[in-house]
Amino acid sequence: MSTKTVNSVINAGKSYQYVDNGEPMRGGMKDVYFSPDRSYVVAFYRDAQDFASRERLRKIVTDYYNSFFNREGGDYYRELYCWPTDMVEADKKVGLVVPCYHANFFFKKGYASNDLIKGKEKEGKWFASPKFRNKQFTLRLDEAELGNWLSYFQICVNISRGVKRLHAAGLAHSDLSYKNVLVDPVSKSAAIIDIDGLVVPGLFPPDVIGTADFIAPEVLATKHLDGKDPGRKLPSRLTDLHALAVMIYMYLLYRHPLKGGKIHDLDTEKDDLLSMGEKALFIEHPQDASNRPKLNQVNPKELPWADVTKLPYTITGPYLKELFYQAFVTGLHTPTERPPAEMWEQALLKTTDLMQPCSNAACEQKWYVFDNTHSPKCPFCGTPHKGTLPVLDLYYEFKPTVWKPENHRLMVYNNQYLFQWHVNRNIIRNERLTAAQKVPVGYFVFHQGKWVLVNQQLTSLKDLTDDKEIPIGSMVELTDGKRLLLSREEGGRVVIITIANK
Amino acid sequence: MRRLPVFFLLDTSGSMYGEPIQALNNALSGMVNTLRMDPQAMDSLWLSIITFDREVKELMPLTELASFQLPEITCPQSGPTHTGYALEFLYAKVNSEVRKGTPTQKGDWRPLLFLFTDGKPSDLQLYRKMVPLVKSLNFATIVGCAAGKAADDGMLKELTDTVVHLDTADSATLKQFFKWVSDTIEQGNKSMGTSEQVTLPPPPGEVNLVI
Repeated sequence: MSTKTVNSVINAGKSYQYVDNGEPMRGGMKDVYFSPDRSYVVAFYRDAQDFASRERLRKIVTDYYNSFFNREGGDYYRELYCWPTDMVEADKKVGLVVPCYHANFFFKKGYASNDLIKGKEKEGKWFASPKFRNKQFTLRLDEAELGNWLSYFQICVNISRGVKRLHAAGLAHSDLSYKNVLVDPVSKSAAIIDIDGLVVPGLFPPDVIGTADFIAPEVLATKHLDGKDPGRKLPSRLTDLHALAVMIYMYLLYRHPLKGGKIHDLDTEKDDLLSMGEKALFIEHPQDASNRPKLNQVNPKELPWADVTKLPYTITGPYLKELFYQAFVTGLHTPTERPPAEMWEQALLKTTDLMQPCSNAACEQKWYVFDNTHSPKCPFCGTPHKGTLPVLDLYYEFKPTVWKPENHRLMVYNNQYLFQWHVNRNIIRNERLTAAQKVPVGYFVFHQGKWVLVNQQLTSLKDLTDDKEIPIGSMVELTDGKRLLLSREEGGRVVIITIANK
Repeated sequence: MRRLPVFFLLDTSGSMYGEPIQALNNALSGMVNTLRMDPQAMDSLWLSIITFDREVKELMPLTELASFQLPEITCPQSGPTHTGYALEFLYAKVNSEVRKGTPTQKGDWRPLLFLFTDGKPSDLQLYRKMVPLVKSLNFATIVGCAAGKAADDGMLKELTDTVVHLDTADSATLKQFFKWVSDTIEQGNKSMGTSEQVTLPPPPGEVNLVI
């Protein structure tokens, strides 16, 4: 074991230390060494890098680094990406200096039954595979590591934002995968790593086609063609959008959207290539059922998630259902139809407004999306919802006196909060919200047999049905058909209340 | 979910008696632990261990990684090396246990074979008869590992182009070799390059790769 020093090729005079124990961690293309204090790693490419590749790395650690982090809102993204900060060279090998991930991305417990993976990275696969959450599986993850269903919505929101920001800068990640996106259901966060593969269209071509499970169908279907063939499809913004959709589907449903029972070829490799490439077909395609998983052939440890009849993708709610359809039916072979990252972000957020806590304390998912029926129940454990359920539909002023629905609904549960982004349509729930905008403006409680909204901060809340102002510090009862004006300011919304499950 | 079947054929002939067999046990258990830290391997990997000396034993039938219990591998103090017989046994096992694709069911991934020996086949005729049959099984990779001075690389080269020669069968070398084996098994879940096919990772420094 020895500590070595390497010099930056960007910042003259700057050097970095790393510990060489002869056994670096091996990535697909790089050997990775920790710094003595483990605050960063130095990752050396095993192969020599050509001029174009060096230029790309240089830009990533300089221009792109600055444009992402050295400006307003940069701190949010610093948490989200593990972005290389400098480039070094030693023995003709090019290396990158990359900050280490936060401690929350390493298992505190790991497996329920032993310490084998304690301290290991939380790569996505642990949480996307149904086995590791199956109580009958010998090496399942400890319950304390798994989070609940709502945790994965926040994780997916973060991943979507990370992809959104890259795309907004004209970049493509090109290799979104289990290994390159770490997730932590405990703190409900995600980190996008391996930024060095970034693709700049027209300037720097990709050097990987991606990782199995996430490669877009058109990339696999044309991978036999020469790199210069005009028909060859390589990773791009649009293939990132396929990988993102697959990732979100897997973190919410713990199965792969294209791995079903349909046989394309008796040869395993050819079959796999066709089923993920040219002939890819959504396992839950509404009209074509030929790729539905065959339950007698799946590993029993993959149940109940492998059962698309018991847990169809529609349990993710109306907004995500629409996007999954767009990603895996309309857009599967038509890349331009794939939903952009921002649509995923917004749909995920809106869906969390539809969620209800499951009243069964033993329910493993703890949360579910209200299914819009008269007798709502948790799709995971089957527990029916107890008691009445206020549903708030949001309307905006289309023109004076004409209010139109937003296609946004808020399901109320006891102790739920109301926020600015519900009140005013000009306030968008995204990473640019200020701390003040994240403070609740009111809350809902079931109080003495009645549902009420307590006004904490709304200066112009009005009960339109009873024509009565609701000042701060007072409350209004939620009754069937009641209309409330949340704010008189521009963009202020009206809600119409429906009481379900009566 | 497709399985990735991995077969280990391990030489337990008399010459392995003593330190080598201890080292082998140690290295194998290290490998199983390493693989169990990899969620992708945990998802699809199935392992089988077959030993051969005078007799061929299926020490562990094809078993899912999570349920795999590594048995203690022992060997007699002397006796021949029936590599050919082992290949014959393997041939039957692969045919009966590895699922082939059918019009109604997905097949397993192409299996991997690791053959570890410290000598040369005592049943040469059977060995040579089985080599083309084993090759016809369509393994994704066959790795031959020859450990120690007496091991015959040439014999293994008749079976596969990938032969790793270990100068000694001591604990450190074997551990390194099986680390490389687990890297090889885990290849599939890494990023794929735009040009080249997935290849074996380079072997560790102290191992000689005979190509």
